Amino acid sequence: MTPLEITRRHFFSRTSTGVGAAALASLLGREAKAAGGLPGLPHFSPKARRVIYLFQHGAPSQLDLFDYKPDLARVRGQELPDSVRMGQRLTGMTAYQASFPTASSIFKFSRCGKGGIWLSELLPHTAKAADDLCVIRSLHTDAINHDPAVTFFQTGFQLAGRPSIGAWVSYGLGSESDELPAFVVMVSQGLGNAQALADRQWSSGFLPTRYAGVKFRASADPVLYLSNPDGYEREARRRYLDDLARLNEQKLNDSQDPEIATRIAQYEMAFRMQASVPELTDLSREPEHIFEMYGPDARKPGTYAANCILARRLAERGVRFIQLFHRGWDQHNNLPREIAKQCMQTDQPSAALILDLKQRGLLEDTLVVWGGEFGRTVYSQGTLTETNYGRDHHPRCFSIWMAGGGVKGGLTYGETDDFSYNIVQDPMDVHDLHATILHCLGVDHTRLTFKFQGRHYRLTDIHGRVAQGLLA
Amino acid sequence: MGAIWLGILSMAAADAAEFNRDVRPILSDKCFGCHGPDATAKKIPLRLDSEAAAKAELGGRRAIVDGKPDESELIKRITAENKARRMPPITSGHTLSAKEIETLREWIAKGAKWQQHWSFLTPARPPAPEVSNKARVRNAMDQFVLARLEKEGLTPSREASKETLIRRVSLDLTGLGPTPAEIDSFLEDRSPNAYEKVVDRLLASPRYGERMAIRWLDAARYADTNGYQYDGERVMWRWRDWVIDAFNQNKPFDRFTLEQIAGDMLPNATAGQKMATGFNRNHRGNTEDGIVPEEYAIEYVVDRVETTSAVFLGLTMGCGRCHNHKYDPITQKEFYQFFAYFNNVPESGRAMKYGNSPPLTPAPTVEQQAQLGELERKIRTIEAEIAHHAAATRKAQAAWERELKNASPVYWSPPGMRDAHFPLDDNLPAHAGSPAIVEGKIGRAALLDGKSYFEVPAAGQFDIDDRFTLAGWFYPECSACSLMSRMNDSPKGKGFGVHLGNGKVFVAINSVWETDAIKYESEEVLEQGKWHHIAVTYDGSKMAAGHTLYVDGKPARVHVLQDNLYRPFRNAGARFTVPFRIGAGNGSGERFRGRVDDVHLYARMLKPEEIESLAVGLSLREIAARRPTPAGQRQLDWYFQHEAAPSEVRRRWKQLHTLLEEKENLERTFPTVMVMAESPVPKDTHLLIRGQYDKKGEKVQPGLPAIFGRLPEGAGNNRLGLASWLISEKNPLTARVTINRFWQMLFGAGLVKTVEDFGLQGEWPSHPDLLDWLATEFVRTGWDVKAILKTIVISATYRQSSKATPELLQRDPENRLLARGPRFRMPAEMVRDNALHAAGLLKHRPGGPSVKPYQPAGLWSELIMQDMEYVQSKGDDLYRRSLYTFWKRTVAPPMMANFDSALRETCTVRENRTNTPLQALNLMNDVTFVEAARFIGQRMMREGGADVEARLRHGFRLVTGRAPSAAEAGILRGSLQYHRDYFASKPERVKAYLSLGDSPPDTTLNGAELAAYGSVASLMLNLDEAITKE
Repeated sequence: MTPLEITRRHFFSRTSTGVGAAALASLLGREAKAAGGLPGLPHFSPKARRVIYLFQHGAPSQLDLFDYKPDLARVRGQELPDSVRMGQRLTGMTAYQASFPTASSIFKFSRCGKGGIWLSELLPHTAKAADDLCVIRSLHTDAINHDPAVTFFQTGFQLAGRPSIGAWVSYGLGSESDELPAFVVMVSQGLGNAQALADRQWSSGFLPTRYAGVKFRASADPVLYLSNPDGYEREARRRYLDDLARLNEQKLNDSQDPEIATRIAQYEMAFRMQASVPELTDLSREPEHIFEMYGPDARKPGTYAANCILARRLAERGVRFIQLFHRGWDQHNNLPREIAKQCMQTDQPSAALILDLKQRGLLEDTLVVWGGEFGRTVYSQGTLTETNYGRDHHPRCFSIWMAGGGVKGGLTYGETDDFSYNIVQDPMDVHDLHATILHCLGVDHTRLTFKFQGRHYRLTDIHGRVAQGLLA
Repeated sequence: MGAIWLGILSMAAADAAEFNRDVRPILSDKCFGCHGPDATAKKIPLRLDSEAAAKAELGGRRAIVDGKPDESELIKRITAENKARRMPPITSGHTLSAKEIETLREWIAKGAKWQQHWSFLTPARPPAPEVSNKARVRNAMDQFVLARLEKEGLTPSREASKETLIRRVSLDLTGLGPTPAEIDSFLEDRSPNAYEKVVDRLLASPRYGERMAIRWLDAARYADTNGYQYDGERVMWRWRDWVIDAFNQNKPFDRFTLEQIAGDMLPNATAGQKMATGFNRNHRGNTEDGIVPEEYAIEYVVDRVETTSAVFLGLTMGCGRCHNHKYDPITQKEFYQFFAYFNNVPESGRAMKYGNSPPLTPAPTVEQQAQLGELERKIRTIEAEIAHHAAATRKAQAAWERELKNASPVYWSPPGMRDAHFPLDDNLPAHAGSPAIVEGKIGRAALLDGKSYFEVPAAGQFDIDDRFTLAGWFYPECSACSLMSRMNDSPKGKGFGVHLGNGKVFVAINSVWETDAIKYESEEVLEQGKWHHIAVTYDGSKMAAGHTLYVDGKPARVHVLQDNLYRPFRNAGARFTVPFRIGAGNGSGERFRGRVDDVHLYARMLKPEEIESLAVGLSLREIAARRPTPAGQRQLDWYFQHEAAPSEVRRRWKQLHTLLEEKENLERTFPTVMVMAESPVPKDTHLLIRGQYDKKGEKVQPGLPAIFGRLPEGAGNNRLGLASWLISEKNPLTARVTINRFWQMLFGAGLVKTVEDFGLQGEWPSHPDLLDWLATEFVRTGWDVKAILKTIVISATYRQSSKATPELLQRDPENRLLARGPRFRMPAEMVRDNALHAAGLLKHRPGGPSVKPYQPAGLWSELIMQDMEYVQSKGDDLYRRSLYTFWKRTVAPPMMANFDSALRETCTVRENRTNTPLQALNLMNDVTFVEAARFIGQRMMREGGADVEARLRHGFRLVTGRAPSAAEAGILRGSLQYHRDYFASKPERVKAYLSLGDSPPDTTLNGAELAAYGSVASLMLNLDEAITKE
């Protein structure tokens, strides 16, 4: 039952004096709009109904995971040629380095699946889902520091203040759930060097606050303030809400403000969330083989693995935009050891999520995206040894993958030069990625706009091209 | 919604289409994107933003031909059947409705009369229109509203009940609802000016300034942290308190503006005027390692332009950063000319990781100022006493000086806050290698051989925000070596040190050698094989300018090599336990070779005279034996009064120095405020191609956009001149924009709903003449904020009941015509403050450092990087008004965010309101509100009388300001009964429920009863009415 229906039932069952027809009509209009998104959307038939975005925060190294460069081993330790770097601006962390030794990856790569996607030995589980993956090796960004880069990915702009992609999607397409928010965010902690995140990365910017991402947390209150106070049980809350609604209806009759009707409906929604969210986050009834599938962390609340199971459960319940942030990928130093730890945490659950969605028939209309905010340099930050190196931030090219609704599986898209430094084929910038994600959702990115400060804003600003070549 | 609005704002259909109101909005929204101010740059020949261009002949056609729509190319193109010819092009995403096309056609048919955009014309004071229903007019303001209603055939609502009215106006002017006593006193006051008395009382309340300040903090993007990635703490609360005081003192809004934009540039600027300029330093500051500082230095200036233009001009000037503004007459060049006014601050693009980033001003609190005054008074007294006895002292001193030749050699050094002293005579400190003891400058000295050095763990444990002095005698026989340091003993080690490099004195203080350091060297080479006194003082400012290098007692000219220190040695909670070393610090390759003597460390900055005297390098006996230099004579004076004088003299001397030390210690506790300042050497400003920091175009001079003419006569072409223009009569916008924000605060939406945009894309005002009347009235009365607010709130318009009828809702759902009073949900801070207020928990303590009330555990640690945990406040600080809540930009206070508060990342002037289930959960379950409800329950039981009815009534009044109706009382009674049974049936529920929150319950009350009353109080706090201004 939608909140609207609840409210309607509420009115017709209890209100004897009745509400002005106009007020009720207005209420119906509002609710329909809030739940259903904008009129005219989707613009065309969508391939994906929802997105699960697995944000690898801190920027994983494309060179050690996806972008296989076998020839680099031969020039290992040699200076990165100037012809490759071409005066590229460097972060302040390596700008003063006297030497830029080429650091080929020490990890082995192999071709995986029928599509022959190259994957590193750090991703043995992901390899099992290779034929569902579309690996994009030609993503690039404008930002070289974490906060602006993540902000750029999340909002299409490097400086804070604009709506996040999840907020745009829930504004445009609305919710398919009447008991869960349309945009849910979960954060997990990695084992490596973590950079700060911020709540604004899932904020609604200048869109109304109701489109902001709701953070689910691994605590007694998966959603802030979800639980009733100690000593206050659900039966009492039901009675309380009945009385509250009756009192609010008195006021509604008196003042005719339709906002009151909305409030009554939102309290009912809150009550439903109090039941649906704990039910959602309670993994105790997941079968044993599911935990095995997602790996050893899966039983520990708050881990990336547990969040991946939750992501599937959210998808099953119609949540539109599900975003996981996993921290700890910022491997400036000791990259081989650090990235291996991060992969141990993330490889199996990410792959399990794809396979789990698939076995439930959900992958076909769920778009899964895996990636960080930029790439990492081919040259070593700090000293290069036989077994050790570090990598600085690299915006010019990096790899992500997508799977499921709307994209071709088993595909490798785009190509970089021999040093994984510059893109040589099918460049795709962050706006293009946004345009492509929206396209999979049936949304024309140029027509999803919001007027603010006199301007019709878009997620893709004035940019963005759909990467047709990777669409199924 | 859009269609309804157009209906209301474009007035009755009978009116002819008017350019500003009806036509320009269509052209601007649908056409200017291509055919607007930026068209020329895009090589599009047709411009529709100027009359001359729009009516000019272009390739044999004219877009607009006065009176002849059918000959007008514009009409032809917007009605073209052929999709390829039709405007706007399908690719633009815009379409024109049939009504819009008709409006354009009709306007051209009636002569295509053009108007300058309304908001760029100086407001003229319009006469108040005649109205028929004169009985409904309380002041001129009402005539404007009523005239419009009469034209629309609407009647205003009756006046709201007195209970509603006092709650409305109390919330609006102080942010807090009235107490039952205040309501009763108003109800009992039958005098004709009873309401006005309430208004005057509220405007005089110190709560008024707090209420007004919070919206200003949103606009000024005030926060307690830097934002961006690390988001470390900054200290700007003294600026916040300046704002509160300014509102409370009713500082005229023109002064308020002038001081915040350019207070530092006013002649003889006071501390307060400097502090005020924190307004334009409230922007975020990036401290991320690896940023390019120049890039962010540009962002800060852009932020100032965007904030200043939004707050004072209602313009979106930021659009001009990358290209000419698409809608408003502001070219990209003009953007950078405006930008230039704010681009002359001596600042770095990389902000300090911890604390404030320069430029700063000390900002003592009122109490600290009083303490300082008291100390200074005492110092003057004792100095006068010393002067009074000067002759006698001199006499005694002369006798003592004569005797000195018989005394053993004694050396003077400055007393006070000495951290360590190494005489290096006989008992050498811990060392490596084998230093020899040889003849020295002050007694004996140590001879270091290029391998040996001294190492003292406990000395010089200063960090980058400490004040300190390093001083010593050196006789160098090396030109690349360390004199003294506390740094990791390796090349480029972290810490601070004084070295010789290429024979010059080289000083470095760094957290990361390459990127996070201050480094400078003396211009002169230090002569080898000779004794030199070397001293460095540092004021803890993290700036090279805070250092002074002294060579042989005189400040040395230095060349600054690097000046971007921003992280402490103890960054991210790390330990830094490196010992102080003499003769070492840069690794084994740079040990000192030569003699070293008498090294002093101070935890303060020695004064120049002290260092000059210290560098005399003679014993007192030697000084007295000759004719002393002034520096030598000072040594004698100081030593005598400190050590050798008669006890009375010594007592006074000691007292003076104790006071001076106290003063220094007090001054070190002063908070600072980041402020605006002007670089002594003006910085160049360039147009930046596509807005990119590293793509410099032509150089530009500061200037106003041409549309605004020139700065006032006699004003300098600088930030102060700009500020004087902002408040001058030549500026058509500041007064209008300000009034409009006040209107939004009181009525929920501005007269111009787009409060942030008075430009061509902004909304046409619902009551243009009223806006101009208020704006001119505001200026006429000397920008008197309290007076103009009073004018509005005593109007009949404001006093109307907010009850709607279905017909009125249909006709005017957003109440833009004002046929009823305002009714909307309170802003976030008011929701919380009023719950605490009703509970009797709210603690009124104005100003001071921000506080940390209840917040669910772990919210910060889940997202942040390091060493910044939310440590909840205790006691009264849990219950302060919400404008004092610590605002961390990356993790905003969750309750505030839930209730749509501005996020404080950038300037926010538009008030937003949504209605979400998260708000419901917040109000029902957040300990803040559960505890407040318990206290309201407690008040019901203790103050509400004996019977249930009266108690419930009391609680209901505390929360809503009125008594419940019979039906409401019935529901409340039922709820109470339910909760009594609910809690009585399981006592453990009572214990759990009553234990929430830090303030314990009144144990004399029956627990189950209290829990039941608390639950009903929670119900009351969750009523729509409880969080709504009616």
